[in-house]
Amino acid sequence: MISLIEIAERAQKSPKMDEKEWDLRLFKNYKELADKYGITGQYPGDDVFFNTDDDLPDRAFEAAIEFLKENGIYCVSTKRVIRLTEDEIYDSLKGIPSKIIMGEGRDRRVWYQHDIETREPLNVCPGHHAPFNEEYGPLVVKNFAQIERADFIEGFNFTTVDGREIFGEPLETYAAIRELSWMREGVRKAGRPGMAIVLYPITTRVGPFMAPIDPDYGLRRTDGVLLSILPDVKIETDLLTVAIKLDDYGCFRVSGSFAMIGGFCGGLEGAIIEGIVKPIAASICYHSFVNYVGVEHITSVSAQKRIIQPLVWGSSVVCQALVRNTNIPIMHWLIPTSGPGTYTHLMEIAYRAIEAPLNGQNLYAPRHTRPEMNRGQTPLEAEFMIEVSDAVIDAKLTREEANDIMKPIADELMKLEVERGKPIDETYDLVRHKPKEEFAKIYERVRKRLEEVGLPL
Amino acid sequence: MFTLILIYSDGLIMDLGSDMEEYLEKLRKAILNFDVDGAREAAKEAMSAGVDPVKAIEEGLAPAIREVGDMFHRDEIFLPHVVMASDAMTAAIEVIEPHISKEDLERTKKGVAVIGTVEGDIHEIGKNVVTMMLKAAGFEVIDLGTNVSAEKFVEKAKDVGADIIACSSLMTTTMPYMKEVIEEVERQGLKGKIKVMVGGGPVTRDWAEEIGADGYGKDADEAVKVATELTEKRNEGD
Repeated sequence: MISLIEIAERAQKSPKMDEKEWDLRLFKNYKELADKYGITGQYPGDDVFFNTDDDLPDRAFEAAIEFLKENGIYCVSTKRVIRLTEDEIYDSLKGIPSKIIMGEGRDRRVWYQHDIETREPLNVCPGHHAPFNEEYGPLVVKNFAQIERADFIEGFNFTTVDGREIFGEPLETYAAIRELSWMREGVRKAGRPGMAIVLYPITTRVGPFMAPIDPDYGLRRTDGVLLSILPDVKIETDLLTVAIKLDDYGCFRVSGSFAMIGGFCGGLEGAIIEGIVKPIAASICYHSFVNYVGVEHITSVSAQKRIIQPLVWGSSVVCQALVRNTNIPIMHWLIPTSGPGTYTHLMEIAYRAIEAPLNGQNLYAPRHTRPEMNRGQTPLEAEFMIEVSDAVIDAKLTREEANDIMKPIADELMKLEVERGKPIDETYDLVRHKPKEEFAKIYERVRKRLEEVGLPL
Repeated sequence: MFTLILIYSDGLIMDLGSDMEEYLEKLRKAILNFDVDGAREAAKEAMSAGVDPVKAIEEGLAPAIREVGDMFHRDEIFLPHVVMASDAMTAAIEVIEPHISKEDLERTKKGVAVIGTVEGDIHEIGKNVVTMMLKAAGFEVIDLGTNVSAEKFVEKAKDVGADIIACSSLMTTTMPYMKEVIEEVERQGLKGKIKVMVGGGPVTRDWAEEIGADGYGKDADEAVKVATELTEKRNEGD
């Protein structure tokens, strides 16, 4: 695999390019590649949620490799294009491990890539970057770590630390240290002191990233860090600096590598290619091997607009391309549009949890789309995802069979309004680790509805 | 073959009849085809033919770029199309500019906005969408990119005579930098002259009010609406 030092040098010495030129090249190139590799016009329609044509993801993968070979990866900090040869790309792909060992002692777990239509239980991350008030810190972490199937837990973000607004690099650094100490305390309180923790960056500056590295009270060598590739196949030198440090120290890395329809990649076809390009680029440039992937839409990811298709079908092509052609141990990207504690929120989670084992994805717990909701995630969502994905696996559902279950769920959701949801203290008993009565009833209602549409829970 | 009849009254070109409509249509088509060279050529032809430059902008270019915004909103086109349409509009205006008084040119714009993601934050999807929607709505927009300091926002706004500074943030920990921008505007004695609006994933209306922002957009649509209201208020002497 190409070294991070080599990437760093190329980020400083390669030819310069205006960022706008890069953005517009993406669109043009994806469009040409989508036509060349027969991706254009393949969307079978809103009633088909899974790709079942094995050739299509392979063609999309070839298009992604050609994109990387012809265009490279853009560094926004230096405005330079990091070029890669075909040999370097394939050599790097061979170097991506299919299994990531995380955590320590009896809490050590192996996170790995699953097959399409896997019959094995999925790996699980039950909580990730949702904002919480700092007083909830260790208690919330404890509750998520209490989920037995959880393999690692990702950090939460906080608006204050010791009652002070987190403002400026010194306080960001302090907050990052505190975040990790809460995480360590939380997993210990859950009886899982060795459970892997992934640092969610308080900000993306180097100082706050590096500060929590501390085997005793902070980030251990068996923990991880969220180091994401930027939209439009871009990297940034602060994150590259952190990646170099972590290669030396030993933490695994996670990247958010999904593509967005409507952005510079253009429509569905461009998003499919970019959805494959980005996790490969994250693996090469940051050695971020655990990737959450898929296809979103710029309005569904940033605002309260529920879009199901063609995102689900597009994601299935992306995931299948990565599973069939790389070792990347992918997980799905799930940010329900509705808020927690609601019927529609759990239904949105359900269709994504049905999708995951059929496309070879692991589970990455949901959070509310808009991070403006403080305390907007409960352990029930993650437990429900596990329950649903296990049901799909146990029933040995094929993609075709699951399609018949997905359709009524999608039809129902598209008729329902987005629900804002409620914060965790109104929906969940953090002391007893169980949903409050009203939320428990909603959960039972969703289970019943899923059984009605054919999912054997 | 065109026959140009120019009838001047109080300095205005009154009517070029169907010929003028053809020139305006060429301008509109160039924008809707995202064609930079075509827009430049159409503008040259229109100016050579004596088309009123204000009409060229207000009845040719502006409705077309608004249609581009609507198409983007309806998911019929994507961000790169809006960028290219905006480039085409800029190319046409560069040709028209020498033929129009500064006052008239200013009048054709809804306003000038300086936009960016605040210090410490490198997220830009939302900011890019708002940038394009503002351009499509007729604003001149200067995009400063990501990780922009309060000083840089205000300096650029002063340089270009901006009506609005629009700040974006996707992290709860970078939201406080929005407050810094407002303080910098006040410190430089520009409060009221330059309006500050805020938005982004974790940003709420309550937060915007708390820090004293002049406007808040929960999404790109609301951002354009609020920016329009703010510039209209300013023009009314608020």
